[in-house]
Amino acid sequence: MSDTAAARRPEAGDHVSPASGPWPITLDNVTVRYPNGVVALKDVSLSIGAGEMVAVVGLSGSGKSTMIRTINGLVQPTQGTVTVGPHAMTSLKGAALRRARGDIGMIFQSFNLADRTSVYRNAMVGRFSHTPTWRTLLGISTAEDRDIVMRALASVGMLEKVWGRAGALSGGQKQRVAIARALAQEPAVMLADEPVASLDPPTAHSVMADLADINADRGLTVLVNLHLMDLARQYTTRMIGLRAGEVVYDGPAASATDADFEQIYGRPVQQRDRLGEK
Amino acid sequence: MTAADAAAPARTDLAIPPRPRTWPKAVVVGAALVAFTVATTIPAIGGVEIDLASIARNWTNGLDRIGQMLTPDLSILPRTWQPLLETLEMALVGAAISAVLAVPLSLWAARPTNPNGVTRRAVRFVLNVVRAVPDLVYATVLVAMVGVGTLPGIITLILFDVGIVVKLVSEAIDSADAQYMEAGRAAGGNQTQINRVTALPQSWPAIASQVLYSLELNVRISAILGLVGAGGIGRLIDEMRGFYRYDALGTIVLEILIVVIAIEIASNLLRKRLR
Ligand SMILES: Nc1ncnc2c1ncn2[C@@H]1O[C@H](COP(=O)(O)OP(=O)(O)O)[C@@H](O)[C@H]1O
Ligand SMILES: [Mg+2]
Repeated sequence: MSDTAAARRPEAGDHVSPASGPWPITLDNVTVRYPNGVVALKDVSLSIGAGEMVAVVGLSGSGKSTMIRTINGLVQPTQGTVTVGPHAMTSLKGAALRRARGDIGMIFQSFNLADRTSVYRNAMVGRFSHTPTWRTLLGISTAEDRDIVMRALASVGMLEKVWGRAGALSGGQKQRVAIARALAQEPAVMLADEPVASLDPPTAHSVMADLADINADRGLTVLVNLHLMDLARQYTTRMIGLRAGEVVYDGPAASATDADFEQIYGRPVQQRDRLGEK
Repeated sequence: MTAADAAAPARTDLAIPPRPRTWPKAVVVGAALVAFTVATTIPAIGGVEIDLASIARNWTNGLDRIGQMLTPDLSILPRTWQPLLETLEMALVGAAISAVLAVPLSLWAARPTNPNGVTRRAVRFVLNVVRAVPDLVYATVLVAMVGVGTLPGIITLILFDVGIVVKLVSEAIDSADAQYMEAGRAAGGNQTQINRVTALPQSWPAIASQVLYSLELNVRISAILGLVGAGGIGRLIDEMRGFYRYDALGTIVLEILIVVIAIEIASNLLRKRLR
């Protein structure tokens, strides 16, 4: 498996194949100040081990999305460095940055599918960083890429919808296609930005279970932003609490007490901080 | 009315913020518009001359011609088929070629599909210039360059269509929600890949709709282009006008009207199916 992955990429050079195993994530004194002056992350240092399943918890506006976006280089920090496996994300640009992003899967609260095109084409987006631009332009994909995409869709139970329009799916189905799109990257790390915030409770639980499977079965490092405390406790092993851009909690998720959450939220725990039973 | 208004604040204990007064602004803007319009018709300051008296003097003249046009001479019909077909061909070929050109240009002219400000502004600037030149100017210059016939007409229509289709489609892309782009970027795609696989299918309805619109406009415009020798039914219109055959002109105008309405109905049906 790892040989074929490496052989697929003649440009590899010092590039390490993600198939060689999960990767650690390190943030060193990361500060993000947006052009409008908002400081979304303040001197954050974190070390996430290879293969960990971590929840990032915090109120809306606490900097969770910003943190996840600095990890795959969608946001560049004003200070500090981010390392994901072999990639020094904060010093990469252009093609090298795109190649590194290709090794990091990401799913979003609003799924971010192209609704007017097929499930298949949406999942093919996951192959971008492994595909020469001329191939994408002409719409010619390799048999191997097709195979990877079909297996990714099958693994989330969406294979039968492969030729259907993405816009015609339910929210839970869309998020599964989005997961398949990320898996089609064959990533070493999976980032998820509030992946269940737009879903009803049963669907939210099954999507969280999918993420836990990705961590357990595929051995990917998973970092998931959540604002609900019970989901963090139930599905992740480590919890990082963010408040106003600073890490205010870092410890095991299952044993985090309500008092810990009150410290993260900066207010008493409320009913809407829990999703409810499965 | 005034009593109710006065009583209103007493009935509620809500701290309703005072409604901003907008009428002084409206009055100023309205007065400025009226003043400007009047000023444009004062010849002393270089305004256009509107000689209402000439309408009074010549109205019987115009009425005669309109009367003739309202009694169409159908004997001209056989002579109209060939130029009418030519007009339709020009309209169709012009719309088809401009559609092919407009697809990449629209993506380059919109912000989400082309974050590079330099190339985006360059494309927009060139298209603004293309749009600013009147179609009859293109036709006249092109007839001088490539000779009388349908070719200058078709090139004119392509320039005109690309100008409007790219403007309308790129504005549609600008205002559409483009969250799917972020997924492509996160997956390590470059802008070309993201545009090809996701932005293009998302923009397809806007492109198709504007191309159909340009086809409708093309029939109208290509009817005129013949006046300067750029092919189509305009050639016949020019000839009939020269012979004061207003009854024959009436027939041709009627024909164009029918074709335009037919194309409009067809494109409306197509548009509905595209949604
Ligand atoms: N692109 C941006 N430009 C300016 N400010 C931003 C931007 N994105 C987020 N912010 C601000 O940064 C802070 C953290 O936002 P975010 O990372 O989205 O938090 P969360 O995901 O926890 O809700 C908020 O105050 C937000 O308004
Ligand atoms: Mg967020």
